[in-house]
Amino acid sequence: MPLLEIKNAKLKLDNKDILKGLSLSVNEGEVHAIMGPNGSGKSTLSYMLAGRDGYELESGEVFLEGQSLSEMEADERARSGLFLAFQYPVELPGVGGMSFLREAVNSRRKFIGEEELDHLAFVKEVRKVASKMFVKDEMLKRAVNVGFSGGEKKRFEILQMAMLKPTVSILDETDSGLDVDALKIVSEGVNSQRNEDNAIVVITHYQRLLDYIVPDFVHILSDGRIIKSGGPELALEVEKNGYAGLINAA
Amino acid sequence: MLHNVKDNYITSVKNHVSHFEEKSFRKLASNDFKSWPSPREETWRLSRLGILSRKELTPIIPNFKKKFTSSSQFNGSKIIRFVDGALRADLSSKLPPGTSLDTLDEEDSLKCFNKFKDSNLKNHPSINVSFSCTPSIVKLTIDKGLNIRDLFEIIYEGGDDNLSVHPALYIELKENSSITIIERFNHLSSLIMPLQLVELKKNASMNSLKIFNDNQQSYNLSANCAFLSDKSNYNSFSLIKGGLFTRSETHAYLKGENCNLNLNGVYLSSKNQHHDLTTAIYHDVPNCTSKQIVRGVLGGKSTGVFQGKVRVAPDAQKTDGQQMSRAILLSENAIANAKPELEIYADDVICAHGATVGEIDNEQIFYLKSRGISEKKAKQIIITAFLKDIINESVEEAMQNFVFEEAELALSEIISKEI
Repeated sequence: MPLLEIKNAKLKLDNKDILKGLSLSVNEGEVHAIMGPNGSGKSTLSYMLAGRDGYELESGEVFLEGQSLSEMEADERARSGLFLAFQYPVELPGVGGMSFLREAVNSRRKFIGEEELDHLAFVKEVRKVASKMFVKDEMLKRAVNVGFSGGEKKRFEILQMAMLKPTVSILDETDSGLDVDALKIVSEGVNSQRNEDNAIVVITHYQRLLDYIVPDFVHILSDGRIIKSGGPELALEVEKNGYAGLINAA
Repeated sequence: MLHNVKDNYITSVKNHVSHFEEKSFRKLASNDFKSWPSPREETWRLSRLGILSRKELTPIIPNFKKKFTSSSQFNGSKIIRFVDGALRADLSSKLPPGTSLDTLDEEDSLKCFNKFKDSNLKNHPSINVSFSCTPSIVKLTIDKGLNIRDLFEIIYEGGDDNLSVHPALYIELKENSSITIIERFNHLSSLIMPLQLVELKKNASMNSLKIFNDNQQSYNLSANCAFLSDKSNYNSFSLIKGGLFTRSETHAYLKGENCNLNLNGVYLSSKNQHHDLTTAIYHDVPNCTSKQIVRGVLGGKSTGVFQGKVRVAPDAQKTDGQQMSRAILLSENAIANAKPELEIYADDVICAHGATVGEIDNEQIFYLKSRGISEKKAKQIIITAFLKDIINESVEEAMQNFVFEEAELALSEIISKEI
């Protein structure tokens, strides 16, 4: 059974067809990249998967480990093991990073029947993981994403991913707004979490992220459908010839 | 004007002062109480008092044998108690040397009355009614150069149905003195009309915390006037959560250069409560700063009002005046009004204002939910942070937890009904 399965997903926004029958199957241990030009439906796909209000499917279905997501709210999906790294992480003034992380991690732990972590145990665990992501203690004391640089925001997203240990992670344009150094750090953070039991879907515009997070499969999303799938070489083809050639051929 | 409405209370107030001499400040005050403010008056348009003219109210005769009901919330604080609007020395603490608590005689009371009458608060009903009916005007004086370490806790309580209470307090901080005062309003009365005059002399510094938590049927029309001299510092924070109708109106006059004023506040409103923070800040001289941050959370059919006027006189160059109000509505039937007013007659100033009223940001809710946090918990986290933010910015560190816990009690009541 695939960890994530999207079957013929159709979705409208403001009465306009955005996803027009998208299907995708992601298995344990796999990293998939979804590439596409502007307006192809990439962000809509990530919001639809995460369960944002207003992004409900018109038809089709999505399964997480065989369980249908259609009736599940965003928080239930997250607790069940789905994670979305935001393209634009949201600022939460007054909400401390550490308490936010703890609330999130304990919600998930409670759901999967693990004991909630007390403050001390939690802080210890966060520090261990955070140091690997170059997230300093000082950043965790600040309000979530408030005054963070682009690189800090993305590092904090990946720290959340590492703490929540999701089954399926969707990374929405995680490379946007990052310089090469920040891109390396964030990619290493993601790579360190690849294992045989989880799966990662990288949504991106550019090939360059895929130099650092090497995918097993690459899919080209255009006009709400996957028009071509292949291995990492497909990303290089996009880099060389642009999306236009592929879209015309399809 | 409500001339055509038979108003028992106006008659009651006149009866209350009938045995005083014509030149008494009480008589002068009662002569000025001719009606309640009309909704056509701009500052009362959003907070209407018409219902008071139809109530059967009389000014309270204080019962000096009444026991107190609100206990102190702080270890070692110096307590000053007003019961039924009257100072109760027998229920108050012994104050530290260099501080005094006196009741003003006729002559000084008149001077105090005139200070209010010279301000733009002169037509506020509480000025006229409370000067008519207060048992006495109480003055707290802090001597020159004295930095009071003890927390002063002023507790106002008492009152009863269909009665009005009239505590009047005059606080004077002499040069180079400082103090922190927390005031808690816990009345059981129908109408509460507290008066407060604050005078900060050169380089004096006052932290003021007010918690309005009168019973759920009461009207509290608090009127406050502050005068700041050179280099003085007045840091005031009000938490309004009680009463059916609570309006705290403060006028602050920045009379000396390099003084600093913060008039911040939070209102937490549920059911059919009406909460109003009205302020006026007068920058009369150069080089002063003033800041106002007001936040509200509203549920039920409640109404919140923030009206803030900042007036910068032509000579008040290099003024820095900031004003920001935000309200979160948790119910479709709640209303928040924000009315910032800047009157700037000087050209070299920094003045900014902003106001937002709205629901909790959906982006923030979605972000928290996408981390596995339930919608209810997400909303709680966002509102709590909204309040913690301003409390931490406005209140001195030692008092932050207390204020936050006081806010949380009211907040949990709103949240439990709306979320």
